[in-house]
Amino acid sequence: MIRIEDVGKRFGEGENLFEALKSITLEVEEGECVILSGISGSGKSTLLSLIAALDRPSSGKIVVEGELVSKLPDLHASAYRAKTIGVIFQHFNLIESLSVEENVIVPLINSGLDMPAIRKMAEQSMQRASILHKASQDVASLSGGEKQRCAIARALVHDPKVILCDEPTANLDRENSLRFIETIQKLHQAGKTIVVATHDPLFEALPFESRVIHMADGMIGKHGE
Amino acid sequence: MNEILLSSEVIVYLLSEAVLYLLLFIAAIATLGILKGWNFDRFTKRQFDLENRSYLVMSIIFFVLGLKMLLLPYFAYTIDALSLLVPGAMCAAGVIDANDYGSPLLLLKIIILFLSGLWLGINRLDLEEKHYPYMKLKSWFYLLLFVLLSVEMVLDILYFSHIETTNPVSCCSVIFGEIGGNSLPFGLDIPKLLILFYLLYALLVLMLFTGHYLVRIAASLFFAMIAYYSVVYFFGTYIYELPTHRCPFCMLQAEYHYVGYLLWGVLFSGTFLAIESAVMEGIFGRDALKLKKISIGLLTLFVLLCSSYVGLYYLKNGVLL
Amino acid sequence: MLSRSPFLYFLTLLLFKQKSKHLGIMSISVVMIALVSAVLFISSSLQKTLQDTLDEQADFTVTRIEAGRPVSTPLAWVDKIIEIEGVSEVAPRIHGRYFYAPGEESFLVVGIDFFDEQGSKALQSLLKGIDLKQFFAEESMIVGEGVKDFLQKHYYKDTFSFKTPRGEFKKVKIDEVLPGSLNLLANDMIIMPIGLAREIFGLKEDEVTDITFNVPNDAEWDNVIGKLHLVDYEIRVVEKREVEKAYENLYNYKGGIFLILYIIALLTLMLILYQRYAMVYSHERKEIGILRAVGWSIRDILKLKFYETLILVISSFVIGTVAAYGYVFVLGAPVLIEIFLGGANLENQVQLIPEVSFGTLGSLFLLYAVPFFAAVLIPSWRVAVIPPKEAMR
Repeated sequence: MIRIEDVGKRFGEGENLFEALKSITLEVEEGECVILSGISGSGKSTLLSLIAALDRPSSGKIVVEGELVSKLPDLHASAYRAKTIGVIFQHFNLIESLSVEENVIVPLINSGLDMPAIRKMAEQSMQRASILHKASQDVASLSGGEKQRCAIARALVHDPKVILCDEPTANLDRENSLRFIETIQKLHQAGKTIVVATHDPLFEALPFESRVIHMADGMIGKHGE
Repeated sequence: MNEILLSSEVIVYLLSEAVLYLLLFIAAIATLGILKGWNFDRFTKRQFDLENRSYLVMSIIFFVLGLKMLLLPYFAYTIDALSLLVPGAMCAAGVIDANDYGSPLLLLKIIILFLSGLWLGINRLDLEEKHYPYMKLKSWFYLLLFVLLSVEMVLDILYFSHIETTNPVSCCSVIFGEIGGNSLPFGLDIPKLLILFYLLYALLVLMLFTGHYLVRIAASLFFAMIAYYSVVYFFGTYIYELPTHRCPFCMLQAEYHYVGYLLWGVLFSGTFLAIESAVMEGIFGRDALKLKKISIGLLTLFVLLCSSYVGLYYLKNGVLL
Repeated sequence: MLSRSPFLYFLTLLLFKQKSKHLGIMSISVVMIALVSAVLFISSSLQKTLQDTLDEQADFTVTRIEAGRPVSTPLAWVDKIIEIEGVSEVAPRIHGRYFYAPGEESFLVVGIDFFDEQGSKALQSLLKGIDLKQFFAEESMIVGEGVKDFLQKHYYKDTFSFKTPRGEFKKVKIDEVLPGSLNLLANDMIIMPIGLAREIFGLKEDEVTDITFNVPNDAEWDNVIGKLHLVDYEIRVVEKREVEKAYENLYNYKGGIFLILYIIALLTLMLILYQRYAMVYSHERKEIGILRAVGWSIRDILKLKFYETLILVISSFVIGTVAAYGYVFVLGAPVLIEIFLGGANLENQVQLIPEVSFGTLGSLFLLYAVPFFAAVLIPSWRVAVIPPKEAMR
């Protein structure tokens, strides 16, 4: 499903050269839930953005669903994101001036679907993320937990196969974090491939089958190390 | 400064062209950078920047082409407006002939529109692929286009700065009239011209469904040429309802409901799409059914529009000119 | 349509929810468009009015000159001119400026002949709807609006006393006032029977100011000029086409000066636009980063920016021109009209006749839209290609 082969990522040049990832090799099966844990700066977030084709590796290969995503021109990279990937960010990354529903439809605007179809999909997704009751409310007026659910609704609206979460619980209280884990569990049961980058210990012992991978200094440690 | 350069239309036209040229110049520099450093196999930041820069180039060309499509009719309008200032000129025909730069400039403008349309077609193909297969090709193609655009800019300036308001020029009845030097090419007369016109239309439509791409291109160009002569020497006289009035420009004026803009616009775009379909199918092996459909639609509209002027005249007056 | 196309829906959504972002640029643009289109509207309207008058003017005007100075023209020339082949509608005229010393103003006095059927077509159109029979029955005059206001200010209610060169006073009744729509030409005009005018200017019975006539075949014009000079060596010929060209150039020139001023203003606007779009606010940057992170391509972003600009350009253009139209043709272009009529005699209240050509509007649109897009293009591209991760930070 996701195959990462010998991937490295360097930033800057000369003295400022910083190696964020050093020769990562990793495989994630379809329907698997993988937790990338490690302190901030360990490279887990960079790895996520490479999987999402938001950035390109400096070396190596990333293949998702048979597609080589490590070297895609922008038009194809964005089409790949729009079709296969749903991302949930630490800072939610919602457009504050728009309402919940308007935020949720954003990934579908260029999909070629017509407006009624888009609205229907948005409604289903908001239902799943239990934010439908706030659909017409402006995002700016929502609480942290509600913003999170709005972000989930947006990430799921196009029914992606892969869901990437970057520090999803960093801005949430314990109650909302637990709620988020419930959502992840539901998605896992629905057969989605999930990769979560986090240093939240809550994810160390999930109530469902998952694989924890520790990262440090841009490298992958052994399981459970 | 002469009064031509001070007339509002000319100032607006030259200013627009100059602004566009500035953008095209930026695009040309970016293209040179792309040609020098392009290597899609590399993972460097530089390569990434070059890919981004190619988006600047295509935005500029897209934008410039869009505006040049507006500026071509505006150019016709400008010289039409100048016919008030140039003694002897009754319409744009006299003004375009006011010096030696006019006619080449007009031709060059049409060629540039054709080529930039083609460029955008190739660009679309390039973006559809996953490794920019035509990046080098389209970059060189753009540089060629840029040379033509530079020539156009120079001709623009030369043309407008060399229109005399003291020397009388000929009006269209002299340039295209029976007394003038210009007459039909290949020793054609009007009946033969018309037979050729309808035959070529039929041939072109047929050719759109065969694999003879070169023949299709040749047929398109030949049709455009014969259509031009047919309009000037035959259909135009029915637009003007005057057997001696032969002019490609007068029909741009309000008296004829600006029908010239429609007529020439439809002819050029129809011909262009026919040529583009041949290039897409012949060189790049793409399916161009949609292009061909639109092309046939436009060409048919053109032929019907021309013929309807004759038909309506006959219905109204019971005779032909 | 809007509800069918998701892209347009989203575009309008962003525009309306973030209208404060565009308000500044919009208002500057609207003001500029309004100003320059007002200038162009005025100039083309004046040009049209003048052209209409000139069209009705005679092809040739001849006067006698003595040592280069125009003097009264002998009526005897009329017969000689009629004899020239190809000449028609020969008409002697008496007109001139009457200087009213106390008010330091002058009027244009025009004498007309009741029996002169082929007299100036321009005058005939001026006098449309005025009962001439009654007018010729007594010593009265028809005055332009400017003249009427001026006379009333100087306590001449119904009559005015002209001072003839012989030192006598000639009391003339004000019969009618010309309609205001003719003000561009007739504002300071006084029309009276030809005999009365002759008396006021102190001309002899066999003298007139000048003689006009037409030559319908313009190929004959140069020929006729040659023959005219054989009539008398003191003859001076003015052709209509000379006058036409002088006016054409006058207004074109005035329009041209404004255009150059406008171009300077436009460059300023471009700079402001460039600044505005180059200095991308962090939330705007973030917004674009978000769009790209959830699957929008660079091309989609550029498309969004392009349409956003297009809507801004078109709406500010429409608002600006409509405002200018109202200002010029409904309100009569207060203040701005003075620049065009500056130096005119008597205070003039010109009624501008609506005259808008597609060409003028097209020119205006190009002049505005091309630099606008050009200034926005590069900054928009810059934002669009910022890597999404960087943009969202």
